[in-house]
Amino acid sequence: MQRRTARTRTALFAGAVAVGLVLSACSGGAQQGDPNAPIEVWTRSQDDTKKVYEKIFKAFTDKTGIPVNYNPPPFNDFDKRVQERAQSKDLPDLVITDTGSLGPYRKQGFLVEVDRNAFAGQGDLVERAWNNGKTADGKYFAVPFSTQAQVLLVRKDWREKLGKPVPKTWEELAALANDFTTKDPDGNGDAKDTFGIVAPGSTDRGYLAWWAANYIWQAGGDILSESGGEYKVAVNSPQTTQAVNWLKGLFCDTKVTLPNSLTMVTNDAHNYFEQGKAGIYLTGPYMFTRFDKAPGKDKYEVIPSPAGPSGSTVLGEGEVIYQMAGSAKTAEQKKLAEFLVSPEAQQLGMKPDAGQRPVVRLSVNKNVDVKAVYNDPRWDTVAKVYAENARPFPNVPNFQPFRQQTAETLNSLFAKCGSDVSAELTKLAGNLDKELKSQKAAQ
Amino acid sequence: MTLTDVGSAASGGGAVESHSARRRPPRRRLAVTIIPWLFLLPALLLFLVFKYVPMAEGIRLSLFEVRPFLGDLWVGLDNYARVLGDERFHNALNNTLILAIGQTAGAMLIGFGLALLLEGTARSLWFVRSAVFLPVVAATAVVGEIWRLLYYPAEGGFLNSLLSWVGLGPSTFLDHPDTSLWSVMAVGIWKGAPYDMVILLAGLAGIDRQLYESAAIDGCTTWQRIRYITLPALRPAITILLTLASIRGLRVFTEVYVLTGGGPAGSTDVWMTRVFSLGFETSELGVASAGSVVLFLVTLLLTLGVQLLRRRREA
Repeated sequence: MQRRTARTRTALFAGAVAVGLVLSACSGGAQQGDPNAPIEVWTRSQDDTKKVYEKIFKAFTDKTGIPVNYNPPPFNDFDKRVQERAQSKDLPDLVITDTGSLGPYRKQGFLVEVDRNAFAGQGDLVERAWNNGKTADGKYFAVPFSTQAQVLLVRKDWREKLGKPVPKTWEELAALANDFTTKDPDGNGDAKDTFGIVAPGSTDRGYLAWWAANYIWQAGGDILSESGGEYKVAVNSPQTTQAVNWLKGLFCDTKVTLPNSLTMVTNDAHNYFEQGKAGIYLTGPYMFTRFDKAPGKDKYEVIPSPAGPSGSTVLGEGEVIYQMAGSAKTAEQKKLAEFLVSPEAQQLGMKPDAGQRPVVRLSVNKNVDVKAVYNDPRWDTVAKVYAENARPFPNVPNFQPFRQQTAETLNSLFAKCGSDVSAELTKLAGNLDKELKSQKAAQ
Repeated sequence: MTLTDVGSAASGGGAVESHSARRRPPRRRLAVTIIPWLFLLPALLLFLVFKYVPMAEGIRLSLFEVRPFLGDLWVGLDNYARVLGDERFHNALNNTLILAIGQTAGAMLIGFGLALLLEGTARSLWFVRSAVFLPVVAATAVVGEIWRLLYYPAEGGFLNSLLSWVGLGPSTFLDHPDTSLWSVMAVGIWKGAPYDMVILLAGLAGIDRQLYESAAIDGCTTWQRIRYITLPALRPAITILLTLASIRGLRVFTEVYVLTGGGPAGSTDVWMTRVFSLGFETSELGVASAGSVVLFLVTLLLTLGVQLLRRRREA
């Protein structure tokens, strides 16, 4: 009897310990609300760019004495982790990522409004860059950090070997892509191991629409067109249809795109240009550092996108600074954001160590001179394209669903070559119209 | 299998109680009732925190438009209506079923073949079995990336080089709607078969050798031995494999996500990639939760169905 009771007691004790362990495991972790905790920052970065950010944050801490906790999640997991943290109502204090996240974040109430007039140094920022932080209702919910325009990277050595001119029009671009695909430009004796165009055509995050939008604009088409602050679906316009038909020809008729394009995400796509599997890549200038190593700085050239029927418009977006909701350190949040757009921080972001890519591409600060900082004519091209021919995606409340659905339709059109472009785009237009209405922005 | 186990454990517990109920003081009877629960408590608490609470939360979210910082909006069954009415979800369901059935059947057939080949106690067999088992322990994401390279759809690709030796190809593999789902399925089978093999090996070891000997004396062919001795004896193992494989098949995600991301043209989009895309790419957590709840219900029904079928057959 006595022994039994002792055992019962032991069991009860063990149970209590277990309960305690589980409960303590639950209550640990979140430190939000503690004013002495460092300010937590996340960026959507890979290993090389993380190091550049570390340098910037160190400069901030040295200057202000405010510690920064910078331990961002893996690049490919970023969106997921932000959602996880939002669910536990414990977002990082500051997030730097694509301006494309503005819509989804705003819609879910993740963001704190930015008071431009109270933001130190706001007048030094390029007005066009401020648009990256502007939402559909004209308010600002993010501060611009970096801007860029897409440029065309072309294998110069291949082009010269085949005796072709620098492409200036769509026709010349298509012809060059065709020659890269069929005429063995790398001269290894195998005419079937190279292709013309790198096209990240996966539907993941709507990548395909990101890439294709450039060509749609160059034909005078659009996904959503704006007039007087109101948006209308334009994805089935004759101009858009023309662009999509031309793109479909690249995938289906001349087959100048990499054969695995339609499941390719951007991160994979870089490899194929790097390894000399394809010679034409419309992408952002942040890739220069990597491609200077392979295929090599002298092997490729940077040119503005060749003109389509209606010009050579390309995507010009960038990264913005989001001040996240629920932070206990609003003053520090603002201070860090103000520091990040100062000439000092912007230049640190543009001049990384060897092998690292810049995190600030074109500075958003008027007082930073691209020419002086980079001393690289390729960056001058980027700056020129941004100034003359770049545009962002529209400021509808949330552009993400439009991009996603457009990418899915285009992916399907390019995969099933027998499909009817006009009919599919009309169907897509119907769906986008529904989305537009549900976002209460329909004309 | 699981149900019978739980049943016997429960009746075992009951037996202890009725046995100990013989004129025990009430305090002690109470202790006897409580102690088994105390031992279960740590596990139950962990389950509660890491399984049941998130599950309940998922069901709750499926009824709302989720906006953590603005307050969730009650939308009732709208999210479910959107999931069940969405053409892309229908397409995904279709692909999921084809993939689940194909992978389950393929992995089981190949697993069975491997088990028959590699049954025995020799040292060399132990080594070969371990080698064959490797795909199961390799991380799915890594496996996916490697297969993506192997599947490169032009002439330089590894598998296409092999095909060209026998005068075939190049195949499009992952990058054409006609071949993509089958290519994903092949990776699933490659990864799943060794697991099935191990369970079936355990089943094979339990078969009385004398049955084979008497069958041999009676002049049975190899096929007859498999048909009338091996397969019936493996029935419990096969049931367990079927249940596990169908659940695994329905919630397949990583390999598809890494291999194709659901493309091209949605031809490999499965239920979970759809849910993921809604939840984390379009931030529609409410709709994504509704999709997950539907999948959960289907899985539950399927599991119960298999168990009922088995019990009826055994009764």
